[in-house]
Amino acid sequence: MDGALALLWLLRLLFLFLLYLFLYRVVRALLHDLRTATHEATAELGRLVVVASPAGEPVAGTALSLDAITSLGRDVNNSIVIDDPFASAEHAILTFRGRGWYLEDLESTNGTYVNGTRIEAVAPITFGDEIQIGQVRLRLERARR
Amino acid sequence: MSAGPASAAGRARRTELPGVLRHVRPRPRWTEARLLVFAAAALAVGSLTLGTTEDGRLRFAQPTQLLVYLLALALAHGAQVVAGRRTDQVLLPVVGMLGGISLLLMQRLPQDLVVQDWFGGEVGLATVQLVWLLLAVAIATTLAIVVRSDAWLRRYKYTWAAAGVGLLLLTFVLGTDVNGSRLTLEIGPLSGQPSELLKVILVVFLAGYLSENRSLLMEQDTRVGPFRVAPLPYLAPMVAMWAIALLIVVVQRDLGAALLFFAVFLALLYVATGRVSLVVIGLVLFVLGSMLMATLFEHVRTRIDIWIDPFADPLGAGYQVVQALHAFARGGLLGVGLGAGLPTVGGRLPIPEVHTDFPLAALGEELGVVGLMAILGLYLVVIERGLRIGAAAADDFRALLAVGLSLVIGIQAFIIAAGNLKVLPLTGVTLPFISYGGSSILVNAVVIGLLLALSDKGVEPPPPPTPPRRGRLRRRCA
Repeated sequence: MDGALALLWLLRLLFLFLLYLFLYRVVRALLHDLRTATHEATAELGRLVVVASPAGEPVAGTALSLDAITSLGRDVNNSIVIDDPFASAEHAILTFRGRGWYLEDLESTNGTYVNGTRIEAVAPITFGDEIQIGQVRLRLERARR
Repeated sequence: MSAGPASAAGRARRTELPGVLRHVRPRPRWTEARLLVFAAAALAVGSLTLGTTEDGRLRFAQPTQLLVYLLALALAHGAQVVAGRRTDQVLLPVVGMLGGISLLLMQRLPQDLVVQDWFGGEVGLATVQLVWLLLAVAIATTLAIVVRSDAWLRRYKYTWAAAGVGLLLLTFVLGTDVNGSRLTLEIGPLSGQPSELLKVILVVFLAGYLSENRSLLMEQDTRVGPFRVAPLPYLAPMVAMWAIALLIVVVQRDLGAALLFFAVFLALLYVATGRVSLVVIGLVLFVLGSMLMATLFEHVRTRIDIWIDPFADPLGAGYQVVQALHAFARGGLLGVGLGAGLPTVGGRLPIPEVHTDFPLAALGEELGVVGLMAILGLYLVVIERGLRIGAAAADDFRALLAVGLSLVIGIQAFIIAAGNLKVLPLTGVTLPFISYGGSSILVNAVVIGLLLALSDKGVEPPPPPTPPRRGRLRRRCA
């Protein structure tokens, strides 16, 4: 085999090799990205962001981590205590069941609202929905990743 | 009590919007820079291979064109660094690599396949493609830097849908026929293929519609025999989508676009609801529609006949497919090398539409199975990025938009790759970023620009949903 042809084949194989080297570096960057994401991930399934809270507890602007079951109300034994004069002691319960979020009103005096509509018993809600308990408004958001 | 929340809702709206270039703080993007260097090295060696094959001595094939292209990529990187955007760092190098491969392929094909009269001079295939690629890089970068809010897509989804339908009707009425398909719309000096733009509009609309009605599609059950399906009124869009796809096949004779639209629709429906039953219904509709079309329309049946047995008429209807299969066979494992394949038969290429419909056949012959796998791998990376951006998105609209946009590219690449390899009937869609063609490249650049913008970690949070619409829908369903 003469030199020119050998050089040509060398170049061709080098091109394929560099193509795969690029792909390898890309995949490494992807894996790195995924690994840092799993390290950062906490057990939280979602977050409740406090949009407005005239009484000051919870503080407006804070983000609260959610487990599968979160109880909301004025009583101190709730997962999220809502210290608002219009909230009942056991006001509502927010649950994550498999594929979606559900909000249940526990027969509170002043009712639980989703996006301005009062809910009867259990209502499915999604990320971005706004929950209102008393004068406190909370927005359901995705877990931070 | 009830007066309190209404007045508070107005106050909570954010008044300050993040300006486009108000707080410019440069931020390094090392991953992107490193990957771009690797891509540039690979493309340089590819150009060297091509030049050496054509000339017999060591030289680059048209080094200025490649240099200009690589410079554009570097500028795109630099612009995002200066603007301090925290967008995805893998997309630009990967798509840049695909564009670079496209440039090498177009340099290698006969330049008189496409001749455009620009500014008094005649320019050939590679130059025209280079101009499209440069515009594409500019569009993607501009969108990535400028788009800081998705309200213009989210709020006007029905307007977008109306615009899309209008575009479709305009093509039906005013479009010109090319190769028996009514795809091209010519308005004055401009001409383009609206179906390319339509796929983006479709994704925007579906993301808006599905994110709004997601809980309804997921929760309510109607039993049809052994299947649990969503309430029937919410299946109406599915039937409408099916009808539109069939209409495209009948009027536009564009099998590829119809297949792409319906596949993207089903994929997004599944992503939004996680229901297999909806996908099964969609597939049944698809099979019924295909059978109906095949019995009723000649052009659909021809495509299917060619697919089942291209060797029945190897010099007529099955010519391109047979030649593509031969090209893949000649390529083998490692390929014959850039510039060494595609023997011309009597002065013309064996595959006439190699630059638009069959770029994968040319690449398969010259880079072999090994090279082909790497290229398909690059498309997989684009899909992975889309899914990842979707998973990290702040709300359903953005998640569905990111997934839909990347799936449009992925499914389109799959449809045409499968058509080239005789896995599916051949349809005339382009291979994203590699095929020659202005509409295709520019629209795919818009897709990448939007994906980059969606991946930005510093964008405006999504707005709260509007109460009235949600309330109305929920009551009607309960």
